[in-house]
Amino acid sequence: MNIEQNLQKAEQILAPWNKETTHPELNRLDASLAAENLRPAVTALHAARWGYLSAITGLDLGAESGQMEALYHFCSGPAITTLRVRLPRTGEATLPTIEDIIPPATFFERELHEMLGFKIAGAKSNDRLFISDDWPEDVYPLREDFNIEQATPVEGRHADETPEVGMVGENKFVIPIGPQHPALKEPGHFEFTVDGEVVTGARMRLGYAHRGIEKAAESRNWIQNLYLFERICGICSHTHAYAYSLGVEKLAQVEVPARAQAIRELVAGLERIHSHLLWLGVTAHEAGFDTLFMYSWRDRETVMNLLEQLTGNRVNYSANLLGGVKADVGPEQAKAIKEGLNFLETRIRHYLEVVTTDTMFLNRTRGIGTISYEEAEEFGLLGPTARASGLLRDVRVEAPYGAYHQFPISGVTETNGDLEARCVVRLKELLVSCFALRTILDNLPEGPLTVRMPRKVPAGETVSRVEAPRGELFYYIKSNGGEHPARVHIRTPSLCNWVSVLEKAVGRQLADVPMLIAGMDPCFSCNDRLVTTVGRTGERQTWSWKQLRQHGIEYYKR
Amino acid sequence: MNTLTSFFSLLIFPAGLTLLLAGMFYDWFDRKLVARFQNRVGPRWFQPIADVIKLFAKEQITPGIKNPALFFGLPIVALSGALAAALYVPLLGFAPVHSFPGDLIVTIYLLSLLTICMGLAGWNTSSRFSLIGATRALTQVFAYEAPFLLALLGPAMAAGSWQIDVINDYARDHWFAISQPVGFIIALIGLMGKLELPPFDAPEAETEIVAGALTEYSGRGLAIFRIAKALELVVGITLVSAFYLGGLQGVVPFFVKTLAVLFLMTIFQVLLTRLRIDQTVGLWWRFGTILVLAQLLITILWKGGLL
Repeated sequence: MNIEQNLQKAEQILAPWNKETTHPELNRLDASLAAENLRPAVTALHAARWGYLSAITGLDLGAESGQMEALYHFCSGPAITTLRVRLPRTGEATLPTIEDIIPPATFFERELHEMLGFKIAGAKSNDRLFISDDWPEDVYPLREDFNIEQATPVEGRHADETPEVGMVGENKFVIPIGPQHPALKEPGHFEFTVDGEVVTGARMRLGYAHRGIEKAAESRNWIQNLYLFERICGICSHTHAYAYSLGVEKLAQVEVPARAQAIRELVAGLERIHSHLLWLGVTAHEAGFDTLFMYSWRDRETVMNLLEQLTGNRVNYSANLLGGVKADVGPEQAKAIKEGLNFLETRIRHYLEVVTTDTMFLNRTRGIGTISYEEAEEFGLLGPTARASGLLRDVRVEAPYGAYHQFPISGVTETNGDLEARCVVRLKELLVSCFALRTILDNLPEGPLTVRMPRKVPAGETVSRVEAPRGELFYYIKSNGGEHPARVHIRTPSLCNWVSVLEKAVGRQLADVPMLIAGMDPCFSCNDRLVTTVGRTGERQTWSWKQLRQHGIEYYKR
Repeated sequence: MNTLTSFFSLLIFPAGLTLLLAGMFYDWFDRKLVARFQNRVGPRWFQPIADVIKLFAKEQITPGIKNPALFFGLPIVALSGALAAALYVPLLGFAPVHSFPGDLIVTIYLLSLLTICMGLAGWNTSSRFSLIGATRALTQVFAYEAPFLLALLGPAMAAGSWQIDVINDYARDHWFAISQPVGFIIALIGLMGKLELPPFDAPEAETEIVAGALTEYSGRGLAIFRIAKALELVVGITLVSAFYLGGLQGVVPFFVKTLAVLFLMTIFQVLLTRLRIDQTVGLWWRFGTILVLAQLLITILWKGGLL
């Protein structure tokens, strides 16, 4: 079924409720709905198994139009159907919840509520997920008229309201994991209710690393934002810049040279190797197998060095420009990369053998946290976590972008869906990556690295999706035709995969919990993007951007 | 005069100061070897001593504890247990300071004191991590304690005595590691369980429960617990190598044999993934205990002339 037929099918499904249909791009269908028709429309799409809910974007259309809009993006291969619901900005902008139809929607809905002030009717929980507890009520940071002065912390409200002594109810016990905990390399907060060693309940709280990046993007120009988004995540910085530049280039109708596209895929492939080796180490450490941790991190240095050689940086590579790439691959670098890949490939094969044959490690991974194909679909899982359950969710395969048309990737899936399968999928994926990277190096297209980009991007909106090491990375970009984006919405893969932990932890041993968390390769910085509240020892205060900048300058002067 | 010698032997040589230095050395040897196996540089030779000195210099925090006397007393009890146990084993290859028939049982009890103290220490705080850690530590005691004891009884039965010194002498001509290999392996692994070394470090699994029972300990208390653990490492290894590796006579055989045992233990530490607490208990009762009982039965039959 090609894209057009697929979109036609979606249009037919949505016909009874549809007010207006447009095709903003070849692969996109926009359907406007009334709020009361949202639930039947989503139910119909879900029942027809038309794609999966990828993200919900909230837009504030400003005081002039007096409206807000919620965009429900469904993706099926390269085709994207967006359900648009408009509501008045003032008063109660109430959306019906769809979390009972599509479980991961609960995270998207909470984001809508906390950032833009949509009321979600029928939501099970109204606890704050992203925004800090001392954030004032009825102040929504992504509204157009938001002003930092409004965000004065409310006294006497703090996170972590867990009971002082661990007893809750009868013989139940709450184990807090995080925000600071040795199992977590980044801040997040989980509360696991345990009965002896068995977990009976799970709850989570995010937002400890929220930096207000989506808001900050609105006051920066298109080029500055490239570097801002790269800093969303230290592990997959390239994919963020990749997705953003793909989107902006689509809006500006700029064709990126073939060589630049190939180099982007090359860096993305190297990044995937570094990310998965890092993940392997972390997982081994959570299981208490530190030798594997040390070895995989040692080998990861090889790929870090290659990235440094290629781009000049080890972490935030800054390989991308709008309209091309910065770093070229010369013959020497190509040789070095190939040598590095040869070494890494032998190591990856070795690790594949270790994770599938080491009895003690298998004790901790085989049959643990098993997610069936149906569950993976229902939870809306993405990336390797989904692929371990046999669900091929890989944007590179489903909806190839950039150089993936020329240098395609074969999708790797496993069927068991347990932690072992997640290890195997990731490692096998690296072998596929190694193969693809060699092909790219051998057939690197000649030509320029960049094309000219206009300073102003024509008005319009677009969606760009890129496969990050953890799964599908979703960018929604809207331009008003100016030098700044009007709105950038980012949905990172970790957010969709949390359900796998919260659902699967219940009934397991406490000792398996860190493994389950690690199993989806969470990236907290990716989850948290919005508000800048800096708490210093003893005092809690909100810093304006100016103050922060000044603080930074003063700090480094010394 | 007698009292004076007792104090000397308890506080300076062979227990006390000497044992402390030996403990620090063995701790370093263990850490360094593990680090080298894992492709790391590892600590410098004085690192364990430096750690302990640093901890002694730090403030001791007493957060949310039920019984302060217990909180301060437990590390000291644990340390004295390890020191007292040292008097009954052929430390550094010298004959034990004290010896009487049945001192094997006393020594094993004294060695268990550390775990009991850690369990109590975890129970004594209101920290959730400590409580889970304490529960796990005490659960684990029930898993390895019986097989460990039975594994040490094998050589004792063969030697016909429950006196460590006698068994040590008897072992000079009988390498029980060869005649009772199962017992040797179980004693070795049981010792690792006692010391909560990987793969039996579930009671202090940092990725789940931070530092387990000792999460709330800091400064002096933590330092004393660490010393007690280092001492127990030496005493435990001494006991196992005296029984199974042809006895310990003289300083050189002592170091060669005990370091060889420690080397074996580091290999296990490096190769194995941490066991969940249910897996630990399952492993010991389903395999460890049954195997060592079979071994013991064979020893009894052989001793009775039936084999």
